[in-house]
Amino acid sequence: MYKDKVVLVTGSSRGVGLEIANHFLKHQATVIGISKGNSKIENPNYHHFSLDIGDPAAIASCFSTQIAKKFKRLDIVINNAAVLTSQFSMIMPIKNAVDMVNVNLLGVFFVSREAAKLMRNKEPGRIINIGSMAVSLEPVGDSIYAATKAGINTLANIMAKEFASYNVTCNTLSISAIETDMLQQHSEVAQVKIKEIIKNLPIPRQAVIDDVLNVVDFFASDRSSYITAQTIYLGGIN
Amino acid sequence: MTKQEITAIVINQVEQLNDTFPDAQKITVNENTVLFGNGSSIDSLSLVSIIVDLEMLFSTEHGHDISLTDDRAMAREKSPFTNITTLVDYIFELINEK
Repeated sequence: MYKDKVVLVTGSSRGVGLEIANHFLKHQATVIGISKGNSKIENPNYHHFSLDIGDPAAIASCFSTQIAKKFKRLDIVINNAAVLTSQFSMIMPIKNAVDMVNVNLLGVFFVSREAAKLMRNKEPGRIINIGSMAVSLEPVGDSIYAATKAGINTLANIMAKEFASYNVTCNTLSISAIETDMLQQHSEVAQVKIKEIIKNLPIPRQAVIDDVLNVVDFFASDRSSYITAQTIYLGGIN
Repeated sequence: MTKQEITAIVINQVEQLNDTFPDAQKITVNENTVLFGNGSSIDSLSLVSIIVDLEMLFSTEHGHDISLTDDRAMAREKSPFTNITTLVDYIFELINEK
């Protein structure tokens, strides 16, 4: 399905990013993974770069000295890397708040703009942001996290306009709770609240990875050239 | 690199962009071609394309990693993007300070 496509996945070393990277590899894509740590993926079509998505200079350097020279193109970008600290605003550690803005929001901005430079050709380009139900549900403790995720919805919508003439679409998939390391970071109290939220969704269950991959495939498809500046929520959230 | 070499690269890049324009919108490309501000012959998106293409070209083909749109460029009283000559001067300056 993705033969000859070059796909970049951020946050590819674990969780949803790892699953997405493996999905594209399974369908014959060349996958570039970026994460702060190392990757366990062993596949000749997988190329890993360890860097901090919150560091704009590192991103620019990776694109100009590695990705542009080695691959010379990019077809699909999945902006998945994110960090989460769930805490009441008044006692949120400053560093954690700043990290969320740098990784979740500015990281998406810098990766998307460098990617778009490589996508400016006649081939379709696809930028897909992984958002969150937190934008719609606005849970207590997730003020900065939800704000950064709301920010990437807006980034996608505006970049969709800026990149449209280059045949590049920008969309956001806002996922509901899915069993990952990040979800486990919530306190027990918060996890009880998440279960309560899920219970009240139109489809009252956690997301499974195929729910995510289904929409990623839809946004990534060559047939989706008329789908841009859209946010899709899983599980009936709106 | 000499200014003449940089000028040739910049003009070639603008000419490549010009080739994509419909006949009615084609521009005259020379050292005085206005790129930005009053009298500009191209739209802002085209200027962005030229800047990005030049940054990538100088990096990949000539080994010069330059950023044409950093704070310094934006703060100048006369924009480096005013015309091809000012752009060439700015690129020459960036390359030679490294």
